[in-house]
Amino acid sequence: MELTSKIKKILLVDDDIDLLEQNKLILESKGVEVVTAETGKEGLQKYLSEKPDAVIVDLIMEEHDSGFVLCYKLKKNDIGKNIPVIILTSATYDTGFKFSTATPEEKKWIKCDAILNKPIVIDELITQLNKYYE
Amino acid sequence: MDITYPKILFIDDEKGLRLGTEKLLKKKRFDVICAENGEQGIKLGIQFDFDVVLIDLNMPDKNGLAVLKELISKKPNTVYFIVTAYGSYESAIEATRLGAYNYFLKPFTPQELFHQIEKGLKQRKLLLESIELKKERELNLTTIAHEKSRLNTIIEAISSGVMLINKERKLVYYNKACLQKLNFDELIIEDEIIEKLPKNIAQIVNDILASENPRGKSYTTEVEILPNNELTIEATCSRVPHPDGTFAGVVVVLKNITGLKQLEALKSQFVSMVAHELKTPLAAVLGYLDILTNDTLVVPEEKQKQYLQRSHLRLRGSLDLVNDLLDISRIETNHIIKETEYVAIPEIVKSCIEILELEIKKKNINIIHNIQEDLPKIKIDKNDITKIFSNLLSNAVKYNFENGSININYNLNKNFIVVSISDTGIGLKEEEKQHLFQQFYRAKNKHTKLVSGTGLGLSIVKRLVDANQGKINVESVYCEGSTFTMHFPFK
Repeated sequence: MELTSKIKKILLVDDDIDLLEQNKLILESKGVEVVTAETGKEGLQKYLSEKPDAVIVDLIMEEHDSGFVLCYKLKKNDIGKNIPVIILTSATYDTGFKFSTATPEEKKWIKCDAILNKPIVIDELITQLNKYYE
Repeated sequence: MDITYPKILFIDDEKGLRLGTEKLLKKKRFDVICAENGEQGIKLGIQFDFDVVLIDLNMPDKNGLAVLKELISKKPNTVYFIVTAYGSYESAIEATRLGAYNYFLKPFTPQELFHQIEKGLKQRKLLLESIELKKERELNLTTIAHEKSRLNTIIEAISSGVMLINKERKLVYYNKACLQKLNFDELIIEDEIIEKLPKNIAQIVNDILASENPRGKSYTTEVEILPNNELTIEATCSRVPHPDGTFAGVVVVLKNITGLKQLEALKSQFVSMVAHELKTPLAAVLGYLDILTNDTLVVPEEKQKQYLQRSHLRLRGSLDLVNDLLDISRIETNHIIKETEYVAIPEIVKSCIEILELEIKKKNINIIHNIQEDLPKIKIDKNDITKIFSNLLSNAVKYNFENGSININYNLNKNFIVVSISDTGIGLKEEEKQHLFQQFYRAKNKHTKLVSGTGLGLSIVKRLVDANQGKINVESVYCEGSTFTMHFPFK
């Protein structure tokens, strides 16, 4: 599956350097430039300096909700409103992390365009990213 | 054998009759006392306990009715006769009204006298029996009241709530603990309570009431009374039969299981954390293997080697994690029985350093072990103390810079041996220090990202030091180094 040509640069945020390395390699194979950050804080800085066309962010980093916090900050920002922000996490409901995006209250706070499970399934990710730029 | 004869008092001012009657009665083996006037009669009648008293109606000093009135007020269980030569209908009525048993005329024949006295004695027997019965009944009532209040005291003292609902669906009994268990301000006896109970409980009570079967299973349910694990109760509803076996109602016992629920929540949180921590390195290794086996991805040779090395490191990390978890489980199951022996701490430290030799050489770390010769041995679990020092020393190496150093010092302070391990490593930020002994906490900064760790090592150290009556604290400066100081008691 091909990634839309509208995405030239992706920001990957994850505190696990191995996953960062792997996902970077996979995304680069799709012909896109990848910049990385290892904390939510660094992610916000990189976002402002690099102006990526999409952000893929881990959930549990320096804090348990770092991913949510970063998403919220990105979507509040004027530039961030118009790009896809996707959470990629292994913290799912069935492993005991009780969150969902089902209730209106949660929708109000969780400002991401999709939540995908780790490990990354590249076609699934591309589908979500392309959908945003359709 | 001690035989008691019926006791009779005869009050009459007529001497001849008195003596004659006394003689007659004594012959019949009655125990007779005579009084010659009203005053003496009253005195004797009060002094002794007579079965039958015969009172003459007309006496010079006192009227027989007045004597009767006075005696009956003091001795109500004696049987009284009024005897008179001038019988009138009015005085007979009056005597009976005042409480005389009977009324008979003078002169009387011996047969008539005996007949009257026999009747009187029968009456006296009945009177005494009824008194006994009354006493017995009163005693029984006291016992029942006492039993009831004792049962009440016991039920009130039970920490569980107990409430009884009859088959008319009304609350007939509850103890105070119910209010706290249900978080109610009040409960009202005779109230239709069921619909006010939490849904689950009401459902069960309704089901039991509907079946009206005096025998059958009890049912238990859990109810969260206050959210966030603040108050959870377990309600057990059982059928109550009448003494004759028919269905009477439902007894509901409410038990506070909040502590249990909190423990359960902690346990499941721990399991979630463990699952997450185990999954993460496996996912990383799996990711590398996917890349390396994917023909469509082009990976430079040097990267391939790097990926294998990282995979190795992550798998090593998850093995460490499993070992640490096994340690925790060992600490938790062995915390009661410890196999203590006298141990020289420097010997333990030496053996731990030997095990770490390879890593120490690799980083060119200088170990300064200041052994004091006269240091006393301490009584401690050898496995525990070895685990403590191997964890701390391995951290001191792992988080040290190349060409750094590690200082191990001993001191005596009152009843404690003080051991400190100082390194010249990456140190800790203030906020990192606070979480250091917490399970699964790992300081995340640019220095730690390439060091593998489980986040359990120091929490294990803390548990073991605590379990051996010691204490541990840490001082640290970020980028300069950390010092872990432990106090162990010796005797």
